Amino acid sequence: MKKFNMYFNMEKEEQWLNEQLQKGYRCTNISGLGIYTFKKTDKRHVMRLDYQDYLPKKKFEEYKGIYEDFGWIYIKGYWLGGIRYWQKEDDDQNEIFSDRQSKGNYYKRLMGYSFGLGMLCLFFSYMLYKNHSGLYFEGLWSMKGALFWKAFLFETPFVLLKLFPALLVIVLGNSFYKAYRKYSMLKEK
Amino acid sequence: MKHKLLPLSETMHYILLALREPLHGYAVMQKIEKISNGTAILAAGTLYGAIENLNKHGWIVPVGNSGRRKIYMITTEGSAILKMEQERLLHILSLYEGSESNEEV
Repeated sequence: MKKFNMYFNMEKEEQWLNEQLQKGYRCTNISGLGIYTFKKTDKRHVMRLDYQDYLPKKKFEEYKGIYEDFGWIYIKGYWLGGIRYWQKEDDDQNEIFSDRQSKGNYYKRLMGYSFGLGMLCLFFSYMLYKNHSGLYFEGLWSMKGALFWKAFLFETPFVLLKLFPALLVIVLGNSFYKAYRKYSMLKEK
Repeated sequence: MKHKLLPLSETMHYILLALREPLHGYAVMQKIEKISNGTAILAAGTLYGAIENLNKHGWIVPVGNSGRRKIYMITTEGSAILKMEQERLLHILSLYEGSESNEEV
C-alpha cells in the first residue's frame, strides 16, 4: 500500500506513521517526495523519528549500529542530514530517548533545523520579491469580464508558487517556536 | 562557571561508572540495567547521544573495536569528574545523617 503525505512537522509525521502501523502495517520505504510504502503484517510495529545532521560514514555506522543493537531498523534517512526514520517491533522498549537531557537535545537539533531551513527560505523570498513586481501580471487588472477571470485563474497557481517560500518561512518559524517551547520546558526542571 | 554536564545526570553518571571497564555501547546499557537494579534502562538515542557527548568532552575514549562495535573506556579526566561527584554526593549524604537538618525542622 502506498500513501502520499506532506509534513513540515516531525512530531505530526511520527504520529501519523504510528497510526498507520496500528492498523496492522509496517513501513517498508519512504521516498523523498512524500510517498510512504506500507506492508500488511501480523506483528505490531512502532516508528520513531530522530533528527541528526550530516554524519560522516564512520559516525553514521556507529549511530546506526547502536540503534540496531536495540532492535531498531533504519527505514530512511537523508545523506546530507535530516530526519532519520526508525522502526521496530512493538514491545516494552519503544522510545529512543529515556531521559530529559537527550530529549531536550533532540528539540535543540530540531530548532537548528527549522532555523537553518527558515533562513534559507527567507533568503529565497528576498531574492524573489526584492524587485517589487506585483504578484500578478500587471496587464491583468485592466482586463474585463470573462477574460479577466480566465487570466486570473490561470495565474493564481503561479502566484501561489511564488508565495511558497514566504509561506514556508511562516511554517518553519512556527515549528521553531514549538521546538523551542518543548526544549525550554524540559530545561526548566 | 560550572561545566554544562555537571552535576551529572543519572544517565551520564551510570555510563561513567559502567565504563570503568572497557565496553561497547549495548553492553553499557546492559550493565547499567544490572547495576541500577533495573531502575535505569537507557534507550538507543539517549545512549548514542551520551556517548557522543562524553567522548567530545574527553571523559571517555574509544579503545578498540569488537566487530563493528566501538569499545569505550573512561579517561583520567572522566575519573576525576567521578571523584568530584562522589565528594559532592557524600557531602549531601552527610547532611541527611547530620544534626543540622534536624535542627531546622
